[in-house]
Amino acid sequence: MKRFLTVAVAAAAALTLAACSGSPKATSSATTGVDPSGEIKPHAISWLLSRPADGAVVTIMQQLAGEYAQSHSGFSLNLITTPDRPSYIQKYETLAAANKLPELFDTDATPFAQKLASQGKMVDAQALLKSLGVYNQFRPGALNYQRFDDGSLYMIPFEYQPEFFWYNKDLFTKAGVQVPTSLDDLPQICAKLKAAGVTPIALDGQDQWPLERYIAYKPFRLAGPDYVTGLKKGDKQLSDSTGKAAAQWVSDLGSNGCFSSDFSSTGYADAQALFTSGKAAIYNIGTWELSSLATTKLSATVRDNVDFFTLPTVANAVTDPNEYVTSSGIGMAVNSKTYDPLVRDFLKFALGKFFTIAAQQGSLVPVTGVTTTVPDNATPLYKKALDAADHVGTKLVMPWDTQLDPTSNTRLQQELVLLAQGKTTTDQFIDTMDTAIKQNAPKYFG
Amino acid sequence: MLPRRSRLSVLVFLVPPLAVYGIAVLFPILQSLFLSFFQWDGTTAPKAIGVANYARMLGGDSVFWHAFGNNLLYVAISIVIQIGSALIVANLLLTLTRGHAVVKTLYLLPAVISTVAIAFLFQRIYSVQPEGLLNQLLQAVGLGHLQQPWLSNISTVLTAVSIPEGWRFTGLYMLILHAAFLAVPAELEEAARLDGASRWQVFRLIRFPYIRPVWITTLIMAMTYDLRGFDIPYLLTNGGPGQSSELLTTYMYKTAFTSTDYGYASAISVFIVVECLVAVGLIFLVLRRRDQS
Repeated sequence: MKRFLTVAVAAAAALTLAACSGSPKATSSATTGVDPSGEIKPHAISWLLSRPADGAVVTIMQQLAGEYAQSHSGFSLNLITTPDRPSYIQKYETLAAANKLPELFDTDATPFAQKLASQGKMVDAQALLKSLGVYNQFRPGALNYQRFDDGSLYMIPFEYQPEFFWYNKDLFTKAGVQVPTSLDDLPQICAKLKAAGVTPIALDGQDQWPLERYIAYKPFRLAGPDYVTGLKKGDKQLSDSTGKAAAQWVSDLGSNGCFSSDFSSTGYADAQALFTSGKAAIYNIGTWELSSLATTKLSATVRDNVDFFTLPTVANAVTDPNEYVTSSGIGMAVNSKTYDPLVRDFLKFALGKFFTIAAQQGSLVPVTGVTTTVPDNATPLYKKALDAADHVGTKLVMPWDTQLDPTSNTRLQQELVLLAQGKTTTDQFIDTMDTAIKQNAPKYFG
Repeated sequence: MLPRRSRLSVLVFLVPPLAVYGIAVLFPILQSLFLSFFQWDGTTAPKAIGVANYARMLGGDSVFWHAFGNNLLYVAISIVIQIGSALIVANLLLTLTRGHAVVKTLYLLPAVISTVAIAFLFQRIYSVQPEGLLNQLLQAVGLGHLQQPWLSNISTVLTAVSIPEGWRFTGLYMLILHAAFLAVPAELEEAARLDGASRWQVFRLIRFPYIRPVWITTLIMAMTYDLRGFDIPYLLTNGGPGQSSELLTTYMYKTAFTSTDYGYASAISVFIVVECLVAVGLIFLVLRRRDQS
């Protein structure tokens, strides 16, 4: 007993200490103007980002930082990249909680980012881009993708990536199927492709967001982009006709064998390999994979059989066929706490040059007036994809993983797998998700 | 009563590690306990909510209880593999006259391989497309009808993620138990054999009772480690499909770093600490009762 009391007193003392040392503290919310006065004093800055280490953004930014440092001795740009998105989000949110975010950091327009913006922790990107004289160069769709619900803009896009359904013409012909004109055609097409002995759709289930795209498609066609805006706040429910249609469609995709039996544990590279090796007929992915799908890097046996179609529509659709997922990638936010004349000057320098270089290297860019160079090893499909990107409509499918509150989003990703596997019914799915959103949305949107 | 110099020596040697333990282990636990009474998303001011996180956890969170159930099964499977096979291999090693070192090294190898490599390895072993080792073996021995996506099937996934955890540390516990077996006096076993004891009787009545304290220690080590198991399930399935392989640790991690609900995640972490203490307490209780009987 005495020993227990001693331990209890020690615990109480430590608790008191912990209380005094205080741990969580509300952070200050300093708002900084976009054109700070003062001298440009070169120093090292960092960019916490979630992009491929050998991708265009990292390599070009390294090159531009080197050029900038030649005229600004003492400047350096430390690029800290974590391409794996869940790991990145953990790092970014932990640093945000500790108020230790670097000068520049990547984020999607998530509810968490909106909280940071509302606390004045991010520089107003719209005001910044306008003050740098580059705002009007951006494609409206690329900026809209980065905006929060209230229309405010706190992230700068560096990419422009329409997402297509790449398909294997040869496998379609062998299975006797045509390109779907309606989303409702897809389950039947899958059944025929499966009967022909191929995996209908190559899906990276491990990363979860690719399957989450499928639940977003029907509501986008039936009710437009505002549906998810209402759903995430609890103003709309999946139990309405649109939500039921969406859940039923994903269920139908699963029951018609659209995805491989092990899709939930199939990774990004394996899903892509399924398609590029000619074992899967359809692959839904963005133009960031152009170099893998529309160049001579692709196996000669598959290369000439690859084509793409855009998101099929539905009867009585409220969005146009040329409106689909067109992401401008994860955006770059500017930390208002560390924003100074140097950061502004470097951004002015970098934004003035980045897009031209990226376009010369074959990347689609989020600005107009710059023509993307088609690489020498490209197939005709490359040019076709670039042309399609220039004709994307104004409404966008906003990926639901960037819209829902994170707890509901995690639950949705889990339940979607079960729905596609046929391990839960559409009614159970809808009930679970409506309950989850009702419980969690008020913490973010209340 | 220790002489003054000895007392000083004790202080010099004990205080630094105790201080490190206090700072690195006790303080975070207490801080988690403190934080578990708050609702805090990391960016806004924390709000004191009393025991609401515990009420939610114990009363209304179906995912928590699902994860708890998974955790118990995960621990059971891992322990059976770890301690069971370690005991068998350590015992069999005593019969080997040559090649001890090679066998021990081979068994220990998984314990020194990085977790990420192990997860990747087992992802390939369980794979369907391309066909992994397990499914190939089943096909080869005429059990092709049993082939399946082990990590995507909600009925098999929990066992599938428990096996790598068990396999990984079998060698370590085997080494510990083997060292204990070597300390069993040879004359005791010899006398038993002369009295006509079979191999099983020698093991059951001589060897095992002799190494029992070491076995209990390894059991506690394995249990507490498995209760905290996180990395392999997280890397292999991230708790899925659905919540089929969700453990308390993976759920806590997601709650903290995906949902940024640090208060609730802290409540789960406090539960994990309590769960470990209860598990160790139960082991001692059961063994003490058995000794008394």
